[in-house]
Amino acid sequence: MKRVFSSITDGRGFDLVLVGVPFTFLLALSGLPLLYNILMSFQEVDMFSLGSVIRPFVGFKNYVDLFTQPETMSILRNTIVFVVGSITGQFLVGFALALFFWINFPGASWLRGLFLVSWVMPGLVVGAIWNWILSGDFGVLNFLLQQTGLMSGNIFWRSDPNFSLWAVILANIWLGTSFNMILLATGLAAIPADLYEAAEMDGANAWQRFWTITLPMMRSTIGAIIALGLIFTLQQFDLFAAITDGGPNNSSNVAQYWAWDLSFRQYDFGKGATISVIMTVFVMFAATVYVRSTRHEVRG
Amino acid sequence: MGIRRTMISIALALASASFAGMSARAEDVKLVLWSLDRDIQPAPNLIKEFNAQKNGIQIEYRQLQFDDVVSEAMRAYSTGKAPDIITIDNPNHAMFASRKAFLDLTDMIRQSKVIKPENYFPGPLKSVTWDEKYYGVPKATNTIALYYNKDLFKAAGLDPEKPPQTWAELLATAKKLTNPSKNIYGLTFSAKANEEGTFQFLPWAQMGGATYKTINSEGAVKALTVWKQMLDEKLASPDTLTRSQWDSTATFNAGNAAMAISGPWEIDRMLSDAKFQWGTALLPVPSEGAQRSSAMGDFNWAIFSSTKHPKEAFKALEFFASKDVTMYKDFGQLPARSDLPVPPTGNALKDSALATFVDQLKYAQPRGPSPEWPKISKAVQDAIQAALTGQMEPKAALDQAAAKIKSIGG
Repeated sequence: MKRVFSSITDGRGFDLVLVGVPFTFLLALSGLPLLYNILMSFQEVDMFSLGSVIRPFVGFKNYVDLFTQPETMSILRNTIVFVVGSITGQFLVGFALALFFWINFPGASWLRGLFLVSWVMPGLVVGAIWNWILSGDFGVLNFLLQQTGLMSGNIFWRSDPNFSLWAVILANIWLGTSFNMILLATGLAAIPADLYEAAEMDGANAWQRFWTITLPMMRSTIGAIIALGLIFTLQQFDLFAAITDGGPNNSSNVAQYWAWDLSFRQYDFGKGATISVIMTVFVMFAATVYVRSTRHEVRG
Repeated sequence: MGIRRTMISIALALASASFAGMSARAEDVKLVLWSLDRDIQPAPNLIKEFNAQKNGIQIEYRQLQFDDVVSEAMRAYSTGKAPDIITIDNPNHAMFASRKAFLDLTDMIRQSKVIKPENYFPGPLKSVTWDEKYYGVPKATNTIALYYNKDLFKAAGLDPEKPPQTWAELLATAKKLTNPSKNIYGLTFSAKANEEGTFQFLPWAQMGGATYKTINSEGAVKALTVWKQMLDEKLASPDTLTRSQWDSTATFNAGNAAMAISGPWEIDRMLSDAKFQWGTALLPVPSEGAQRSSAMGDFNWAIFSSTKHPKEAFKALEFFASKDVTMYKDFGQLPARSDLPVPPTGNALKDSALATFVDQLKYAQPRGPSPEWPKISKAVQDAIQAALTGQMEPKAALDQAAAKIKSIGG
């Protein structure tokens, strides 16, 4: 008895308790819903069976049905374009800004802080504002483009199937840039200054210093940011609801919005769950990248 | 310690005494009602009046958000925690009625002195009907008609007292009114990829002789072709595809569209925002003398079949229906009743607009009724959007929708 007690206060038992508490927490709040979601994707779920766990088992019917629908492939393609486009944009602009503020001119940290305002704003508010900016007849963006002589006619950003997805990507880049910038800025700050001094003495120019010191030293930060970006982008829902509703003709529809539409507008919970499972696979891939890229940090 | 114990026992005695006092009044039947009405809308106010009667029935109110009504109701019903009464959007009514989640009120309505089926407009009544039985009572109703800007009519040399009557006239009028240099479109409406798009398109298909079951029939194809022409010839803004009815009509109020198709919920905003003379007309029909139709919106009352107090719940519905007389005056919503004239408001413009809508309501048809309505609606939206973006021909798009609707079993 005493041994058990002492093991809990100081020993293997203590370790187990420390691991066990968060593990139970994770299992209850993430693991079970995840398993439940997978289970639902193999069942026929409607209004009556919503409250029970045992429901008619339909095997892969939901998956087969989903992939025979004509819009499925284009929606999955849109999802990939949205994710890649958003992350690339957010990362490049964010990195450029982080490098810019790294120069540390007077007021740099203040300005950098202000950038976070965009990250704090709720997605629906951002969506509503971009809705006005992107509006075809009276939108601010069209006005600017015409005044600067870049184009003559109006582009209907939200309603032209060629542009609607990019309209949402544009808004999402704006929304996510500051988060990228802040994380990259902390990564930059962690690089020891003497590395640069030594390189300068050896005659390395700015470009060489960036390629041989900054980028390699930022490797784990960049990996983490891209993985987090993938997760945040796959979560992005409000902007679609506010700007295009996935339209016109599904040209801006993505998996996460579609899952919601199926579950909560068409009340086809089984198919909604099926899409969520497909997305989970994507996110697990991202999580693997994230874990691998941050492993270096743990080892110090 | 002794004092403390005495205090506790006194407190306990008091508590049990007051509990006994409570239980004397606990003979009151308690009902729960869910609705999305805010404090200036009917449900909570009618409940207050009802409770004030102290007739042995007390209603407890819970407000829902629009997007949550169906999913909350489903979840509550499937876990046995449904309220006694709920207000439900009319196209969703059949989904619950067909599964007997709502109580069959046919017998109670037959014996009722207040709720009589013949007093209701046919459209709303059809939406509460499933398998020739009544599963609810229409709460309020609305429909869509044509608003037009009389000043722009005059400026274009058109007679402001002769709004377009047919689809051909509507197209011709829209062409004359469209003026890109002044940022004026001929018409504004909504073809958005949600229920609003279906709400606006279905009346056109129905005027062409189609129903949702025959959505690829000739009349519906013609309707969609007219819509496509509106967008292709830039008589309506391309943003029609992503704009709600409310936002679309805002461009009419701002003078950027000469005609608008929307409902009576626009009247008050139009009175304050529109700085021009405007009028209303019935929705144009495919050709002179063709059958009329219109959309039908708003909510129904329903009693969940799981209620323990069906009689009391129906009594509450009777009380609510008895207040239909003052519904427009008190809450600005149109009762679904054909036997009640909408009382004059004292504003001639408003009264004439209301008269148009009440006239249009005679032709209003519900969406469905079908338990699979959301999926049917989605198929229709997809067809509208595929055709209007030019990715499919109207006929092909509606054929696809018809096939989908058939496979759903609608």
